[in-house]
Amino acid sequence: MRERISRVARGGAHSSIQLVDRFLHEVARYSSTLLLLMVFCVETGVVIFVIRDLRAADREVQRIYAGSVLGLRGIGELQYQAQETRRSTLYALTTNDSNLQVEYADQSRAADRRVTDGIADYLAHARMPREVDVGKRLQRDWPAYLKVRDEVLASILEGSIKEAVDFDLAGGVPSFDRVRQDLEDVKRLYDEQASQRLAIVDEASRRSAGRLVGVLCFTLLFASVSVWAIQRAKMLSALKLAKLQMDFVASVSHELRTPLAVICASAQNIADGVVEEKEQLAKYGSVIRNHTRQLTELVNQILLFASAKEGRTHYVLRPLQIPQIIEAVLRNTRETVEQAGFTIDPHLEPGLPEIVGDFSALTQCLQNLVGNAVKYGGSHPHIIIRAFVEGADHQRGEEIRISVEDRGIGIDSSEIPHIFDPFYRSPVVTAAQIHGTGLGLPLAKNIAEAMGGRLTVVSKLGVGSVFTLHLPTRKKSSQHMATVGSDSLTRP
Amino acid sequence: MIVAAAVLLLEVSPDAAVSAAGAPPQAESASEQSLAIIVNLSNPVDNLSLQDLRTVFLGERSHWPNGRRITLVMLEPGQPERKAVLRTIYHMNESDFSRHFLQGLFTGEVFVSPKTLANPVGVRKFVFNVPGAIGYVRAADVDGTVKVIRVDSHLPDDKDYSLRIQAHPAK
Repeated sequence: MRERISRVARGGAHSSIQLVDRFLHEVARYSSTLLLLMVFCVETGVVIFVIRDLRAADREVQRIYAGSVLGLRGIGELQYQAQETRRSTLYALTTNDSNLQVEYADQSRAADRRVTDGIADYLAHARMPREVDVGKRLQRDWPAYLKVRDEVLASILEGSIKEAVDFDLAGGVPSFDRVRQDLEDVKRLYDEQASQRLAIVDEASRRSAGRLVGVLCFTLLFASVSVWAIQRAKMLSALKLAKLQMDFVASVSHELRTPLAVICASAQNIADGVVEEKEQLAKYGSVIRNHTRQLTELVNQILLFASAKEGRTHYVLRPLQIPQIIEAVLRNTRETVEQAGFTIDPHLEPGLPEIVGDFSALTQCLQNLVGNAVKYGGSHPHIIIRAFVEGADHQRGEEIRISVEDRGIGIDSSEIPHIFDPFYRSPVVTAAQIHGTGLGLPLAKNIAEAMGGRLTVVSKLGVGSVFTLHLPTRKKSSQHMATVGSDSLTRP
Repeated sequence: MIVAAAVLLLEVSPDAAVSAAGAPPQAESASEQSLAIIVNLSNPVDNLSLQDLRTVFLGERSHWPNGRRITLVMLEPGQPERKAVLRTIYHMNESDFSRHFLQGLFTGEVFVSPKTLANPVGVRKFVFNVPGAIGYVRAADVDGTVKVIRVDSHLPDDKDYSLRIQAHPAK
């Protein structure tokens, strides 16, 4: 039981790894772009965060400057003007000139007005209870001092210096001390607020730095994971390619070895004089010819695929009749089909329009499909070739579809995405020792796409497969070619 | 003798002189030439007879009814306002004025020594600052910082107001 669970767990982990590997395989195709995009996104995020934090810190600093530094400056100015009020009053004591005394009194009153306005302004902007308390104290203590100041000034102007000094010592000094204390309290409050706001800025700055470090770490981690994923995807891709190539070499070797062995044995028998009768000789000749043809086809397919991959294939495009193509396909595959005991039933819709394409390429494409139908036809040796016009698809417009149907072993749905991959061979057919190179379908697909069409498949395991070649009609092909260029009818 | 009488008439009442010449009386012009007696805003006195005003200006009275000490404010010698005050209130010239105060302070008959200021603005500011101060400026120089008191129940704008500055200096 435990072993079973362990197997199931291993199976789950294995499927997860497969999923990751499949994802990485897809990612690998866009690795550079994806990496750049991801790094760009993350960096943009970092920049946005940093800018946001910097702006917030800047706003906070501005608030501190406006609220505290300017406030402190205002309080400093208030203290100066309060001193100026008192100083000017006392200056009036130093002279007997009434004109000068009046001037000093004037200066004192101008300064006291500024202090009064400053206190009113402070109270208007006071928000915290402590601020309001101090403001109200100032509003009470400052007029009290001014009352004494007025008496002192009056006494000075009247010429009663002693009386002025007595007034000042008795009332002016203590009341001005109270004002000075109030102003100190205001200043202390501003200092406290500035300290609090500075702490907030400091905290914001620390938070910003932490966030920056965090995001940079994340970026680093993310970039590392991305690089690892891309490297792994590339490695997987390379491994897969290497495996496919190895499979291909093995498969091709096998495909080559079998007919060669037959040819070699037949030739040896003829050379040894084992075959004497004319009929037997003809039979041996036929075997050699068939296997030679098989070899030639194999080599041709490999060469075709190689040239298609390298972009060296040049197609001669010309108007073609579908029946001509089908006829050629039937002719070329007759021997193979008959030898395998298969029959082909062609259903061609009457009045099929012309298409534009390369005759031999299209014939090759359909031959590959017929060859596959024979190869994987299983116990139902019957193949149907249909050709009909389909114009219901408004996106693609009118097209001709040529389908090759068999009722053979079919393809598992999980295999379908891979059957057009070069060198791919299903484990089922490999196990069943059905020979092949894994190049037939990729080659057919390349040809279909080169002709401006496509190749699709509908298949069900154990029921059969329908491969359909979709080709644009001549009218649509001409339009397509007109947009491509009218200088040549050849297409690589 | 006739010329002297004409000059006296002009000094005491310029409007009357102008009327005599046949021109219509100009209240505004008269007001500009009127001399306002000003006190501190806190001073309860609103009206003084010319005689009481003379007593105050001569320094023979030391305190106001509210108990504030009287402080007399004068402009510097040579100014038209001072001349008008000397003429209409003191009935003295500069030397008599100086002698009066020197002598009065020495004998103790005078309680107040006048403060001398250079210009009407200074006078106004002084009166504004000192609750017991009394001074004089042209009616046009008066503002809201001081109070103008009536003299014989007349304000400077009134036709029968007696304190006026001489329009043309006497020859």
